[in-house]
Amino acid sequence: MKPPSRRRAVTSLAALALTVLATGCGAGAVATAPLGDRPAPGGTLTYATDREPTCLDPHVSGDMPQAYVAQQFLDSLVALDAHGRIRPWLATSWDVSKDAATYTFHLRRDVRFTDGTRFDAAAVKANLDHMVDPATQSGTAGGYLAPYKNTEVIGAFTARVHLDRPYSPFLNMLAQAFLGMESPKAIERGKEANCAAPVGTGPFIVQKWNRQSDVELVRNPHYNSPPPYARHTGPAHLAKVVWRFIPEPATRFAAVQSGQADVIDALPPEDQASAERDSRLKAVVRDRPGNPTNLALNASRAPFDDRRVRAAFLYSADVVNGLKSVFFGQYRRAGGPLSYVTPDYAGGYENAWPHDPKKADALLDKAGWGHRDGAGYRIRKGRRLSADVLLKSDISPNQLALMEQIQATAKDVGFDLELLGLDAATVNTRYLAGDYDLRDGYWNTNTPDVLHTVFGSEYAVHHGIHSNASYAKDPAIDRLLRTAQATTDQDSQRRLYGKAQQLISAGAYQLTLYPQTTRLAAHRASVRGAALEPALSLPYLYDAWVNAR
Amino acid sequence: MTATVARLRRYGVRPAGAALVLWAAATVTFLALHLVPGDPVLVLLGGGSGANPTPETIAAIRHAYGLDQPLYAQYLHHIGRLVTGDLGVSTSLKEPVAGVITQQLPATIELTALALLFAWLLAGAVVLLSTGRGALGRALGSGLETVAAGLPHFWLGVVLLYVFAFRLGWFPVAGGTGIAGLVLPALTLAVPLAGYLGQVTRGALLTALEQPFVTSARLRGMSSAAVRARRALRHALLPPLTLSGWAVGALFSSEVVVESVFARQGIGRALLNAVLARDLPLVTGIVLLIAAVYVLVDLAVDLLHAVVDPRIRTPREL
Repeated sequence: MKPPSRRRAVTSLAALALTVLATGCGAGAVATAPLGDRPAPGGTLTYATDREPTCLDPHVSGDMPQAYVAQQFLDSLVALDAHGRIRPWLATSWDVSKDAATYTFHLRRDVRFTDGTRFDAAAVKANLDHMVDPATQSGTAGGYLAPYKNTEVIGAFTARVHLDRPYSPFLNMLAQAFLGMESPKAIERGKEANCAAPVGTGPFIVQKWNRQSDVELVRNPHYNSPPPYARHTGPAHLAKVVWRFIPEPATRFAAVQSGQADVIDALPPEDQASAERDSRLKAVVRDRPGNPTNLALNASRAPFDDRRVRAAFLYSADVVNGLKSVFFGQYRRAGGPLSYVTPDYAGGYENAWPHDPKKADALLDKAGWGHRDGAGYRIRKGRRLSADVLLKSDISPNQLALMEQIQATAKDVGFDLELLGLDAATVNTRYLAGDYDLRDGYWNTNTPDVLHTVFGSEYAVHHGIHSNASYAKDPAIDRLLRTAQATTDQDSQRRLYGKAQQLISAGAYQLTLYPQTTRLAAHRASVRGAALEPALSLPYLYDAWVNAR
Repeated sequence: MTATVARLRRYGVRPAGAALVLWAAATVTFLALHLVPGDPVLVLLGGGSGANPTPETIAAIRHAYGLDQPLYAQYLHHIGRLVTGDLGVSTSLKEPVAGVITQQLPATIELTALALLFAWLLAGAVVLLSTGRGALGRALGSGLETVAAGLPHFWLGVVLLYVFAFRLGWFPVAGGTGIAGLVLPALTLAVPLAGYLGQVTRGALLTALEQPFVTSARLRGMSSAAVRARRALRHALLPPLTLSGWAVGALFSSEVVVESVFARQGIGRALLNAVLARDLPLVTGIVLLIAAVYVLVDLAVDLLHAVVDPRIRTPREL
């Protein structure tokens, strides 16, 4: 696939609908001069988030907080636009072999890492090798690159990546901050140094990580490689970003209300309404692509090894009203296996499993659970129709309330749901052993190939880390997803992923609840232009500016 | 008992006891982290949701941290490393444990110190002001202490934040540097502690006030307040002083909550996160630190006893 030239890509994307915070005049009064509508260079932006990464290098481990901050200092080979199309970034163009197993990248020749190292084909090789190296301890990037064989340095600025099988989601993966490009010289310093201060080609530079407090980022004065969705060129407007960690939701919200933080994320849903009413604040919420928040039904053991029982449970749950009452209408229902913002999302399954207790009753009667005991639960051969819900004891009160509503509606049709509030270690043990009937989860990613990760039978591992939490094992689904990986033809992909969504929805493997969301609130008086990037809806501060203070 | 033996006891037994305490702490930590269920590898690879590591990666981590070794070998390695003074590298943070502790400790020390100071001031003020005020004053003071001692840190912290940071804006909402950022978290810790200290001091003070030397001081014309502050208080100091030794340890554990509410750096939060991540080197490092603090504080309390109570200073040879 040959993308349009870089210049054309940039102009066509200038009109791209980015979610931009805080437009128009600021209403709030501040001590300093009022914030103008034109970007002003300089100043410090304080960004407050809930969770602290354990390592700033997103190749290692690979949890969302790492991607959030890495987006500010790493560039990627390619970018994804809001329509799910791959665009050039550090790679100006690429050729994909017919079998989608070999990718040749033509790279920009004028980009340097902030430690002075040149960005070139050898750097691409060093990065991909680093991600798949078991010693890197990569759970996300390394997992996504499972088909990776090697990288061939064809010329100084041409790199050819060989995969061991056709794998068309490769480019989407490369657009994620988890697979951002780091200085090979910096990687060689070893994990300790590289976790503390990874070096990229991005708009900001990691200056200092004060653990359990903040990460200090300073502007890269030589920045020349913004992504196609950026709204300006050259160095960032901000001189400095303080990336604060404030775990307590109420404290974090108060910090942005008082202007002590300019932008916060993980805005608590219960505060969203007051953020929208508050003239000092601007709330921005965007749903993320991938597999929505869900309860996976363990199809490998009774009672959910019977599709009729799984279907009955899905019909029993009144998710729409549950979300309305628990999250104050801030979350929409996600009904299908893909969040609606995922590429190749098929819209036909949002209402595949409406609240329908009558159908649930009929299915359970048919499945041999016709009798009820004194408490109203269904029994068969003296055994109650019960299901263990594997939950951590520290889930938020809102999430717990939603689970209790699901428990209540399930009881109406005769399910006995046990909400296990367990410590994290016990939850992990039982998850690894597959010892659960229902388990909460989600998967943020920018490709429909997430269906393979979450429903592919090769990931239905008993006694080990398994991304297929429902233990779905359907050769037809596997075949569709493998075929989709092997083609780069977009029409075939849409058809194959569409069919897979149909089979997965019909298989009743998950009670899908709501999409994962990025929820920001910004202080109007102090900040403009903070945006969300399109690949994973991560916050993106390159275009932001503040009152110089 | 000769003086030499006494000296031996003082200078020999104490360090041996301290070493025993540290060894026990390291061993119990090791066993506890291995006995609770859960797989540290899962945590290392990016949490429960969102990681799909290759089998080679999982095997590499098990090998790197010696998790593929038998338990006794892991234990010997663990203790052997500690004996040489090497605290190791945090598995979750990929940073030397000593470095993590050095970075987090100052915040904890200043918070602990200020909280202890506030607690003593609050307790002292309430006790001195209420013991001379008759039955009603005593009941009021005692009631205040009981309520204060029962306040949960989480609730108190949020209330103080709400009133003094969100509403009045006197203090920063989160973190904050210098003394301004320290006042609210220190008060959150100090108020319940002052309740305990106050109750104990009050009991001891009331006992002291019934002693004959108080009556004689009053007969010599000393005012009631002066007797309480200058004569009786000294006798009432021993129990709360002992309690303060315990309080330093208790503050360390309460700081887990306070550090989270106020988004402060500190040892407490580091320990909580290390336990959740099953990070043996970091948990051990912090547990050893806390054990050492207990030992040192215990020693300091003993020495202070001698300052407050002259009877302890002279060796009783009988």
